[in-house]
Amino acid sequence: MNDMSPALWLSRGTALAQFRAASDSREVRIGAVIVGAVALIAVLAPWIAPNDPQNQDLLSTLLPPAWSSGGDARYPLGTDSLGRCVLSRTLFGARIALTVALCAAVGAAVAGSVLALIAGYAGGRVDWLVSRAVDAWMAFPPVVLSLLLMVGLGTGVFNVVLSIVLVDWTRFCRVVRAEVLVVRRRDYVAAARLLGFTHFQIVLREVLPAVVPLIITLVSLEMGIAVIVEATLSFVGLSVPASAVAWGMMIADARSTMHEAVWGMAAPVLAIFITVMGFNVLGDGLRQSTDPRLRNVRA
Amino acid sequence: MSAPEPILHLDRMTLTARIGGAAVEVLRDICLAVPGGRIVGLVGESGAGKSMIGKVIAGLQPPGFDVTGGQVLFRGRPLPGSRGDLLGRDIAFIPQDPLSALNPVLTIGQQFDEHLARLGTARAARRSAMLSALGRVGLVDPQALCRRYPHQLSGGQCQRVLIALAFASRPGLVVADEPTSALDVVSQALIMRVLAGEQRSYGTAVLLITHDLRLAAHVCDEVAVMYAGEVVEQGPADAVLRRPLHPYTRGLRDAMPPLHGPRRALPAIGEFMPGLQALAQISGCRYAARCPVRSPECVRSRLALRERAPRQFVRCGVACSETVQAGVSDAGGGAHGGPTGRPDWDGGRTSGPDRNGGPKSGADGNGGRTSGADGNGVFTSGPHQAVPLLEFRDVDLCYESPRGLLGRRRGAVQAVRAASFRVDPGESVGIVGESGSGKSSIARLALGLELPTAGRVLVDGADLHLGAGRTSAGAPSGLRIVFQDPQSALNPRRRVARLVTQIMEAPDHRRPLPDRLARALELLQQTGLPADCMSRYPSQLSGGQRQRVNIARALCVTPRLLVADEIVSGLDVSVQSQILNLLDRLRRSLGLALLFISHDLSVVRYLCERVLVMHRGRIVESASTEDVFLRPREPYTRMLIGALPPEDPDQQWPPAADAIAADAVAAAAAPAG
Repeated sequence: MNDMSPALWLSRGTALAQFRAASDSREVRIGAVIVGAVALIAVLAPWIAPNDPQNQDLLSTLLPPAWSSGGDARYPLGTDSLGRCVLSRTLFGARIALTVALCAAVGAAVAGSVLALIAGYAGGRVDWLVSRAVDAWMAFPPVVLSLLLMVGLGTGVFNVVLSIVLVDWTRFCRVVRAEVLVVRRRDYVAAARLLGFTHFQIVLREVLPAVVPLIITLVSLEMGIAVIVEATLSFVGLSVPASAVAWGMMIADARSTMHEAVWGMAAPVLAIFITVMGFNVLGDGLRQSTDPRLRNVRA
Repeated sequence: MSAPEPILHLDRMTLTARIGGAAVEVLRDICLAVPGGRIVGLVGESGAGKSMIGKVIAGLQPPGFDVTGGQVLFRGRPLPGSRGDLLGRDIAFIPQDPLSALNPVLTIGQQFDEHLARLGTARAARRSAMLSALGRVGLVDPQALCRRYPHQLSGGQCQRVLIALAFASRPGLVVADEPTSALDVVSQALIMRVLAGEQRSYGTAVLLITHDLRLAAHVCDEVAVMYAGEVVEQGPADAVLRRPLHPYTRGLRDAMPPLHGPRRALPAIGEFMPGLQALAQISGCRYAARCPVRSPECVRSRLALRERAPRQFVRCGVACSETVQAGVSDAGGGAHGGPTGRPDWDGGRTSGPDRNGGPKSGADGNGGRTSGADGNGVFTSGPHQAVPLLEFRDVDLCYESPRGLLGRRRGAVQAVRAASFRVDPGESVGIVGESGSGKSSIARLALGLELPTAGRVLVDGADLHLGAGRTSAGAPSGLRIVFQDPQSALNPRRRVARLVTQIMEAPDHRRPLPDRLARALELLQQTGLPADCMSRYPSQLSGGQRQRVNIARALCVTPRLLVADEIVSGLDVSVQSQILNLLDRLRRSLGLALLFISHDLSVVRYLCERVLVMHRGRIVESASTEDVFLRPREPYTRMLIGALPPEDPDQQWPPAADAIAADAVAAAAAPAG
């Protein structure tokens, strides 16, 4: 600690130190490994997938996995009703899932947290307005809301992200606002005000750093939720265009033939399950290791 | 000992914990006997292990902490592993925080009734038993009280309810763990009176755990002083306070600011108590590292308690021989100060007490004037040459409770009423009063954190709030505040170097990096912090160190007036004396004016030339410190002074019930804020 350069004593970057400490947690490590693996698959899909995910082999539809009788070695997890490779589609499906998860979660986090910081710090009328908006927003059934949005916006990855952001910013807003209210009452915020800092500087330097760990934790949980929402939307055909590959779409396609070919359904379900669990374990671990009440402060 | 058969007897008890693989003797070789009908005090600073003894008696020590030596005897028999029926019947507890000890969703009556039912009182008899028990502890109108919830009572009332609950079963032993440290001095005196009264009338044995040596000396028959898990001194209470033999006891006694006699620098105990991990490495006397009279022998060998004076046992080899005499003469000089020991307030500065003194002549006959409302003339008298640094003129502050759902106001609390006073450059002014008397509101008003609802706050003769609305441009120039709780006042995400020079990030005071580092180092030296603190976070510092950082931050751009809001009340006495000495030194060397807010009169006496006494939002008395202590005008001030445990163990304390109760009743009748 003492051999660090003196300039660093004045530097920020405690959030980083906190997450370095967080990496000691077993949950964080397991979660990170799962999420990292899924991300790697998404990036490498064109190289590791055995077939083109859109290529239809109408002569060999509904093939079972390669290891069971009647299977074909070209299609390790068999084919769907149009003869497309289930494994390749599952691997490519990770791309849409993770893109949507990352963009939607970050988008919702930014929108929700900015409003939460403004509402929680300013208090009074602004807070009243934002809080009532959140209440009203949350009273509306989220699935119906996103369906309506998708109908209005039309399909496409960007629109999926937008609709998830518009539905889920409230989640961030509510949780982060509560934390901002706590931090704002600390004497160090009053002290900063008395030292002559502007409100903007105080929010940026005193309040925001205190809620960043919470936001990051929420983002990792929100990513899991976004994966599910995206799958739900593509299941009803309102997500990405039919030319893209999405896990929800695979489930929808396999639904009619699930009695003859259960693997077409099992692969995307398992993929969703593993991905969401990865995010949840990661989020849980981060929450435990960054929550000051649960953490043994030692830095 | 000729004392009766002990109810509770800790016989060479040792409590061992496994911490990081090493066995640490958290409590070592504790011998303590609590005879029936006596009060035995356990005194020590936080971390000394006194609360752990209470936990052991309750069988509630943390997992991994085991009694590995000696035994705990209750009524002559070892305490069974599961305490079962004993707790709440024959052994009762009075907790430190009365509010959290009562169930917030049940009324007082329901909780009391539940307890009596558990004790097997017949249903018909419960109501009258409850009312008489609540009446015994001095609670007025027990009928109405029974219908109220804990949050509707004051801390002192809750604590009295808990005392009534504890004595309801006529227990053989009551363990009171810091029963008054969450309360102000007046409630403390009242609670101690009630506790001692109940103890006497039932002949109960009481183990009183406290950090306050003076209080223990007045209330207890015997005391045991603990340090780092060991009893270092044990004996009759008045003897231990009058003639402490162990250097730690002496340090504890001397670190408390005196209530009489000349002012002197407080002899501070350096360093701080070793933590649990460090205990494993200490083979000799656990106090040796801080001891002013240690010899090489102390570090090496472990000592037993030995009788050094009649019935006074000390765990120290050096203690007895040459130091006893010094202790005796010291105590004699300090105890009877009175009017003869005129305090040396001046300290070589130009503004003496006479310059600031309020009206003294004929003040004693004017006790009826309890209100400060009748204007400036009452308290600010005499010609002042300079423009005051800070001046309040008839300031009111009214907190309105938040609007309900339908926008209706639910009432308002008048925190400050018609407050008028001034602080001149270089002057040190204290504000004392019970909790809720509006002291902190004064601080917030002075700094512009609150706007007065009426009246004017002037800094350097100019209005602080003239059309400015809520100040976002920072404190008035030259005013800095040190907040009460460093835990909350220091951003845990900043390193110390960045914390103390925080103001240099603001546009008005921006400095380049090397300047900041140089200033940070200077500030650490000024406040007595080691230079290696620069790179640490507040969570890596001790409580006293954090308070120093808190002070250092306020000094970064040297202020003219420092507002200190209860900055020593959360600290142990040995740390408190360090901080008080530091403040005093800084004040003199930097020529600061000081507005020092505290509920503790002895601390204010130590630091301040002039005192404002606040009572329920009003400044009821304003005079030089000397006058307030020697010739208090207001009955309220007299009561505040009388509520402090005096230094002389022979003096009667706690004061008679009616001396303090009259006001407490009035305070209790007022609606809770």
